[in-house]
Amino acid sequence: MKLQNLSIKRKLMLITMLTSSVALLLSSASFLIYDLISFRHLLTQDLDTQAQIIGYNSAAAMAFRDEPVATATLAALKAKDDIVAAVLYTPDGKIFAEYAPTGKSAPAVIPPKLSRTGYRFEGGYFDVLHDVSLNGERVGTLLLRSDMREWSLRAKRYAIIFFVFVFASGLFALLLSSKLQRMISRPILQLEDTIRMVSANKNYEIRAVNTYGDEIGRLMDGFNNMLAEIQQRDTALLNANDQLHSRTEELEREVVQRQQAQEELLKAKHAAEDANRAKSAFLANMSHELRTPLNAIIGYSEMLEEETRESGNREAIQDLQKIQAAGKHLLSLINDVLDLSKIEAGKMTLHLENFDVPPMIRQIVSTLEPAAVKNGNVIQVHVDDNVSSMRADVTKVRQILFNLVSNACKFTDSGTVSINVEPVTIEGHEWLRFEVRDTGIGITPTQQRQLFQEFAQADTSISRKYGGTGLGLAISHRFVQMMNGYIQVESEPGKGSTFTVLLPVEVKAETPENPPSDAVTEVSGPIPDAGFNQDTILVIDDDATVRDLMSRFLSKQGFRVIATGNGDEGIDLARRVRPLLITLDVLLPERDGWSVLHEIKSDQELSNIPVIMLTIVDNEATALSLGASDYLVKPVDRERLSSLIDKHRANRSSSSQNGNSSKGPAEKHQQFVPSASARG
Amino acid sequence: MQNRAIMTVRRLIIAMLMMALGQAAHVWAQDSDQSSEYLIKAGYIYNFAKLVEWPASAFAQPDSPIVIGIVGTDPFGPIIDKVLEGKKVNGHPFLIKRLKPTADVKECHILFIGSSLGPHVADTIRLTRGTPILTISEIPGFADHGGIIHLTLEQNKVRFEVNVDAAKEADLNISSRLLVLAKVIQQPGDGRKTE
Repeated sequence: MKLQNLSIKRKLMLITMLTSSVALLLSSASFLIYDLISFRHLLTQDLDTQAQIIGYNSAAAMAFRDEPVATATLAALKAKDDIVAAVLYTPDGKIFAEYAPTGKSAPAVIPPKLSRTGYRFEGGYFDVLHDVSLNGERVGTLLLRSDMREWSLRAKRYAIIFFVFVFASGLFALLLSSKLQRMISRPILQLEDTIRMVSANKNYEIRAVNTYGDEIGRLMDGFNNMLAEIQQRDTALLNANDQLHSRTEELEREVVQRQQAQEELLKAKHAAEDANRAKSAFLANMSHELRTPLNAIIGYSEMLEEETRESGNREAIQDLQKIQAAGKHLLSLINDVLDLSKIEAGKMTLHLENFDVPPMIRQIVSTLEPAAVKNGNVIQVHVDDNVSSMRADVTKVRQILFNLVSNACKFTDSGTVSINVEPVTIEGHEWLRFEVRDTGIGITPTQQRQLFQEFAQADTSISRKYGGTGLGLAISHRFVQMMNGYIQVESEPGKGSTFTVLLPVEVKAETPENPPSDAVTEVSGPIPDAGFNQDTILVIDDDATVRDLMSRFLSKQGFRVIATGNGDEGIDLARRVRPLLITLDVLLPERDGWSVLHEIKSDQELSNIPVIMLTIVDNEATALSLGASDYLVKPVDRERLSSLIDKHRANRSSSSQNGNSSKGPAEKHQQFVPSASARG
Repeated sequence: MQNRAIMTVRRLIIAMLMMALGQAAHVWAQDSDQSSEYLIKAGYIYNFAKLVEWPASAFAQPDSPIVIGIVGTDPFGPIIDKVLEGKKVNGHPFLIKRLKPTADVKECHILFIGSSLGPHVADTIRLTRGTPILTISEIPGFADHGGIIHLTLEQNKVRFEVNVDAAKEADLNISSRLLVLAKVIQQPGDGRKTE
């Protein structure tokens, strides 16, 4: 058992016992030692005196060499028990007389020679050597040898007394300390009992009973104070716990309420999203429905204009041109609405390609030249020499700039519209800055703030005066954002406005696109020539108007046109005729254009025939990914169509120069309309 | 008287014989017994001086010598001079005087009476009367004649007799330690016993 684990009672007793025993031992030991030393001193003095007396008494005998007298003198030592030998030596060291008590062998204890005068302890004996002198003259030496019997007897007695005394006093101390230790241990044990009761019952109302004024009493007071404190805190804690509990319940109720609200909100959100999708779908459908008749209006008015021009009826030409302009304006409005709905539905995607910037600018300017001239404006163009090509969505860039320049022309009267294009480097990245500046009516700061928001033309009066949907800037803004660019406006009402567009020279695609399958137009290897018709174009479209317009337009260009309104029939015709090119409508009655395109491209014999998709719905990416060579949005831009056809004819003739079909395109003008076309 | 004369002659013859013998013995024992005996006896005289107390009036000064007078034949020769040379007792040195029998012995503290004065020993002792003189002799019956210390030979050992009464008369205090060793004789020293 470790000392530190002993009970306080035992510790106290141990301390008392140890302390008193040590004190007792030390004091008695020092007393004993002192006594034994002084006793020995006494004994040696005694022996010395003895030696002096014997020496004195035997001096004369020594002087007169009277041995019997000397021996008799020594024999007087018989009374002394502790003397075991006495010897008288002559000055020259010879034994003169000696004494040895009976039972002791004298010669054994007598030193053979004198050593020196004085005392010495040797072999348990105490020797005293004393000069024997007569009247100041040394006549011999006396040796007295004592076995210190008295001393050792006394030491033995002391030892017995000492042990008895120590034992008795130890017992007494034990008795006393076992009684007295209670003075200290009892209050501590009481306190311990109280502590045990408190911790066992968790009852902080118990108090230690304090009747002591010493440190333990203060300890008890401190303990009681701590208990009071704990009790107080316990109560406070309980209260706080109750409060927390009720607060938690409140919070739980709140959470439930909020969850309900959230669910309602979610429902509302879904409803709103559904509504939005329905709106977008409706818009898309409406646009489609609106465009279909517009196709007819614009297409036929163009045809009529040409024919009328040939016939020389000028009044009719002007009317037809008005019809055309109105149709195109309506088309652009529809396109804007469609674009916006696509943006809102998140369906607008980027089609990145490399293109030259200066030709694009020239094209825009030449397109808008008439509008500028109409308002008496001059267009100034400055393209920096370092500006060449960029990688971006060309359609969208063109649309942005077209918007800005046409706005500038629209809102400026007899002024200047200047276009600046220059490269800039910002934070290590290459940018192109397009600046369109006019000297028009300008825009107020309030108007500037909502300029790029949908349906927010600067003033409602403006739309009445200048026309337009007010969607142009909003769409431009979205396009610029899609290409990670910036658009901003500086303007002073009455003095003019400056629109600045910053676009990266290399626009990065936000999501990886499917690579455009250009490989379709670049067929490698021999092409099966059987039945291949270099000058035939297959038109697949369910709209008889389109078939008619396409046939007339392409025939004028010197192509033989085969047209059908049925997808399967189109594929069949393609196998038989092997046309130079196929134009394919997306929306077909029995099966849609995508599956037709897929079948054509899956057929080994047909896969190398270029297919130009014609559609009202803008879905260029799908078309290109399915293998279409090109993609045109209805109503078809004739110039673009003819340039595409030229491109493909050049490609195919170069890849099949040794083909047996060298007939001129103008030789065979044959209108071949299959029976299906009668359906229109 | 005749008897007395005859006895004297006889004594003379004996003395002469003894002298002759003694001389022979002396010669014979020159190297051993004779000289060692007197060496011892000289030492005894020295020790007697230590153990006998003279009255203070006996010395003129504290360092006055203890005068040893030798009368009659001198058995010591130079031995006693050697033994006592440089010795002191209680601050007193020794002075040895060889005296004629008729000389004044009053200035002596110790008087050794040689054997030759045997017949006149009583007279010689009488000369010392009234003065503190320690008389020593080898003459037989010396103590009985009133001499104080009589040196004897017992079993070849030197012993002595002390006449304490004579010492008391001479106002000499003899140490009890000496008396322990001596054969003590109590006889007044006026020679009455011999008469």
